[in-house]
Amino acid sequence: MVALALALLLSTLPDPAMSCQGRTDSGETFPTCFDPGTGWVLGTALHMQDGDPALLLRTGLLVRVERSSGSKAESRWFDSHRLLVTEAWGGARKGLTFTGYEGLLRRHVDEGNILVSIGRPRRIPFPFDVALALRAAHLERRVWEGSGWTLETGRVGLLLDPVRTNTEWGWLAVGPAASHALRHGRDGTTHELSPFTSLLLDTGWETRDGRWALRVTGLAGWSFDFDGGSHFRVRGDVAVEHVLLAVNDAPVSLRLAATGVRGDAGLGRRDEAMLSAGLTVRPFGER
Amino acid sequence: MLVSAVTLGCALLLGQVETPEATVPEAPPQEEAPRTEERQEAVPAPPAEVVATPVPKVWDLQVPVPGADSPRQPFDRPVLCVSLPPTPAVPSGEWRARCDESKKECLVTPTWELDAEGHETGQRLARVNGCYDMLSPEVARGYRLVPAIAEAPPGWYRDERGRVLQYNFDLHRRIRVGGAWAPRWLHETSGRDDRVRVDFGVDLEWPGDTGRLHRMTLLDAELYLGDASSFDATLLRYDFRSERDEPLFRVTTFYGKPRRFDVFANLGFWMEMLHAEQVRREGVKADFLALGSTYATLDLWHSRDLVSYVRVRAGPTLERDRTNGFATLVPGAALEGDLTLDRDGFHHLLFGVEAQKILLAERVEGRPLRPERLRLRAGYEVIALAINDQPVSLTLDGRGTWRDDVANAPAGWEWSAQAGLRFSLWAPARRSAPVAHDRKG
Repeated sequence: MVALALALLLSTLPDPAMSCQGRTDSGETFPTCFDPGTGWVLGTALHMQDGDPALLLRTGLLVRVERSSGSKAESRWFDSHRLLVTEAWGGARKGLTFTGYEGLLRRHVDEGNILVSIGRPRRIPFPFDVALALRAAHLERRVWEGSGWTLETGRVGLLLDPVRTNTEWGWLAVGPAASHALRHGRDGTTHELSPFTSLLLDTGWETRDGRWALRVTGLAGWSFDFDGGSHFRVRGDVAVEHVLLAVNDAPVSLRLAATGVRGDAGLGRRDEAMLSAGLTVRPFGER
Repeated sequence: MLVSAVTLGCALLLGQVETPEATVPEAPPQEEAPRTEERQEAVPAPPAEVVATPVPKVWDLQVPVPGADSPRQPFDRPVLCVSLPPTPAVPSGEWRARCDESKKECLVTPTWELDAEGHETGQRLARVNGCYDMLSPEVARGYRLVPAIAEAPPGWYRDERGRVLQYNFDLHRRIRVGGAWAPRWLHETSGRDDRVRVDFGVDLEWPGDTGRLHRMTLLDAELYLGDASSFDATLLRYDFRSERDEPLFRVTTFYGKPRRFDVFANLGFWMEMLHAEQVRREGVKADFLALGSTYATLDLWHSRDLVSYVRVRAGPTLERDRTNGFATLVPGAALEGDLTLDRDGFHHLLFGVEAQKILLAERVEGRPLRPERLRLRAGYEVIALAINDQPVSLTLDGRGTWRDDVANAPAGWEWSAQAGLRFSLWAPARRSAPVAHDRKG
């Protein structure tokens, strides 16, 4: 399975001779490659939830950094940061989500191993990269539900990546996650904790020129109220982006996204399905 | 014998005068000093062949005055003063010369204007470059002297008498005063308001950095007198247009070979300060004072020199309804054009459509909460004549206004046809004015 995924990924790897610069007749150059993980996102979309269409607006800052590890040789970090990502939609079911910070910090080593120090130290091959998924200040507000909100104060996931690419344009990270959330309703505020009882998936695939990008995230597991009781929930997001053109070197993309939630939507922990299709422009998004 | 001697003398004399050109005679040189002693000898030592020529004692050259078909002095050679033997037409003997060293030819013109009979007057040539250097008679004898008409600045024409007149006018730089018959018809009534319009304004225009043109109007005022008298006045109006070398948008497509398409947009800025308007309809009066307007403009087309344009502009205005005593926000948009139709600036065409909506108004009995205005205008101005080089133009205007911002007055159209005269002061030649040649321009 891992080998198959790796083969698929390798098939999309770049032609070393690929140029990321176009040239006009007058000799001026312009970028033809883009980084889907970098830039200032401004987007609008048609949002469909439970059959109600609405206009959705989306914004946020994306930063992607690739760096060598300062402490470990032959080790590189591929860090994706998402800041102040906000989505708001109108219609009959007005809502808003806001994420202060979300990041996936993935460390790639060329030859992963585990050192067993019991008895004579031994190195056991470890065919995974490790990744840290962080999220802080994730707010959900559903106006149509009345007063109240859900705030995930923090979430951390310790993930493994069997694909182990040494590039930023492919990853498959999965592992347990812990989180704390507040649910504020008419009856007051309740605390909810998931002490690594959830499984987090974060995977993505991008073409080298950045014109196609797929990202899938998912979370499934149990959360527990402080005053007792547990809740099983599942949540999945899929988004595909395709760069249609660029305006002033800022890519303009078609974005299709789908979200499915079971037992976790809003204060009422409802089941929910959402689809959206729209355009996104990403200034400063050239690779 | 006497007759023969006189005949021979006349023949020799006529032989020295070449019409319209004159050549240096073979007569001995005359030791003649420059009439104006402060002028210096600017031309260096005469060429060898001139020096080698025996200088006649007496120089009785008779250069005729220029005629209508005489050549014009070029701009690109230095002006020299030269004293030539007095003639009945030019008794002062003061001439200006522009010489071509290679052709050994000087185009000469009298320093003074001529009267109708071709005699010099006491009026110096106007709008000519001064001659500060002297062409000595000794050197002048080595040149062929051709009567010519003095040069004229771009946009000006000089006739054979040396008089200069302006034939190219920049009506975007002027102080204007005008009047017009301006009747008005209200759509709701069958009658006509007989009015006259008095207008005034100061128009300024200056080029800025490369590819930018600034235009300003001060004290633009129109006063309507007669039936339903009213006024429309603006303290200051300013705008600039630009020609951008850099594209505003660069659109890159990726299907097939990546290609870049550049979208150019020539943006500008337009503003007004203190625009007062008094409206009268059906015996109802309303006063509005626009404190400030700031519009962005986008040129759909403009001429190479940016003077003529067709553009759209849009922006907000902060306005005070002086009749009802509150402030409003008035967003507006306009499509307008200002075209100078000919090279010499005689024909001007103006047109515009402007829509405004009044927001944030308080409720007023007898008018909607958010009134609207729509103004149409088309105008033509043509210079009919110039008095002392100040143009007098004929103006024709057609205007239509729809508005419902006057409380207790019926909403609807009013139309006005206006025809009048406008006198312009200053109005220098356009920056693009050509230099006059044999014919004007």
